[in-house]
Amino acid sequence: MNTQLCAIKGSRDGLVVTINDSTNFTAVLDALEQQLIASQSFFQGSTAKLLVKQGTLSLSQLDEIERLIARYGMVLDRRPPQWSVTPSVSQQNSEERGSVEDSTLLVKRTIRSGQRLHYDGNVVVMGDVNPGAEIVCTGDILVLGSLRGVAHAGAEGKTDAIVFAFRLEPTQLRIAHLISRAPDEKLPQPEGPEVARVVGDRIQLSVYNH
Amino acid sequence: MGKVIVVTSGKGGVGKTTTTANLGTGLAAMGQKVCLVDTDIGLRNLDVVMGLENRIVYDLLHVVEGQCRLRQALIKDKQYGDRLVLLPAPQTREKDAVTPEQMKQLVKELKEDFDFVLLDCPAGIEHGFKNAIAGADSAIVVTTPEIAAVRDADRIIGLLEAEGLYEPQLIINRVRPGMVRRGDMMSISDIDDILAIEILGVVPDDPDIIVSTNKGEPVVTNSRSRSGQAYRNIVRRLLGEDVPLMDLNERKVMHWFKRLLSGEAH
Repeated sequence: MNTQLCAIKGSRDGLVVTINDSTNFTAVLDALEQQLIASQSFFQGSTAKLLVKQGTLSLSQLDEIERLIARYGMVLDRRPPQWSVTPSVSQQNSEERGSVEDSTLLVKRTIRSGQRLHYDGNVVVMGDVNPGAEIVCTGDILVLGSLRGVAHAGAEGKTDAIVFAFRLEPTQLRIAHLISRAPDEKLPQPEGPEVARVVGDRIQLSVYNH
Repeated sequence: MGKVIVVTSGKGGVGKTTTTANLGTGLAAMGQKVCLVDTDIGLRNLDVVMGLENRIVYDLLHVVEGQCRLRQALIKDKQYGDRLVLLPAPQTREKDAVTPEQMKQLVKELKEDFDFVLLDCPAGIEHGFKNAIAGADSAIVVTTPEIAAVRDADRIIGLLEAEGLYEPQLIINRVRPGMVRRGDMMSISDIDDILAIEILGVVPDDPDIIVSTNKGEPVVTNSRSRSGQAYRNIVRRLLGEDVPLMDLNERKVMHWFKRLLSGEAH
């Protein structure tokens, strides 16, 4: 019916299921199923990655997609796809948050300018978060690299969320409802890992030692 | 089967077209068969930089719409003839006159006949960008040592990856070694720190570029120019040679003197 909503494409990297807009999830599922029927056994036995261009998916929606394509003989590669969300959509989504609070997303790549990652739970990035990139999650954010973009931990009010990075030089840091930004003048940066947490009603950065 | 490389940057004015023209000319000078494609529909430039503006009869859109055969639209270079041709962009149409599918088909035909197909990408990340990258096998990202340009390059690298063009290579253009030394300009390592992709080359800021662009003769053929040397090095790297990055701090006089000693100058 609507081929604009999603597409299944082969790339040099394997099969990619692209969802252009996940706002209307049932329509996406329908469209995807139709494409799967149309291509029948063509994709059987292959592993597909998922790319969401607009909107966001909850874990249960991800499960649903996994079940759907499994019925057509495909395996979903659940390694971190690229989530690109608009804040308004992610807020809608937060209502259906449930027992996933403790789940953790491991991202083994650099998040670049213009890329946004939204997750219900904790996020660990093995790579950098570049200026212009944004991570929003309900739990903690750990960056095993440089954090130079925007990070929002505890996005639904969890004030004991932390942000950790090997080099913590964010454009802006948010924990729960608190916002802090980098000073306008360049300050000498500590070379080691740092951690940000809420102390009183402020976000405080300190050198990490456990 | 040739290689299809898209030259892109995100930000405008960082030297995509100059880079495309110079790499293309340099590759042709090294005996490769090269086709340059200007995908900047409505704002074409590559023909001007190549000095071929007055020879345009047909353009990319004519080919795509079937108004002429592909061969008819390819303009032969003044110096290299058949080995270096340009497919110009239409100047009077809008970017959405061409679809990514059409571009893919076009590029597929071109790469049968040429060793290298270089696609000059428009600035921005919209329709024109998507057209330009549609048929590419790999990408060269051009940036200058400015925060805005590096930020856009980062965005572009992310978008390229999302479209399946992994491991793009970086050209850092318009570097002013004196300013870098004084700490007034981002250094190569500052840029590398953020973008973290393979550096294909570093091109110094050079007034020769402006002169050569105005003359319609890419600087790469000018054996005395430092930027020309930088482009020649990049061309050799593209052909698989291992050429070390140029030492930009070397004084021009010293450079000359060395070339004299090595018997290279004439």
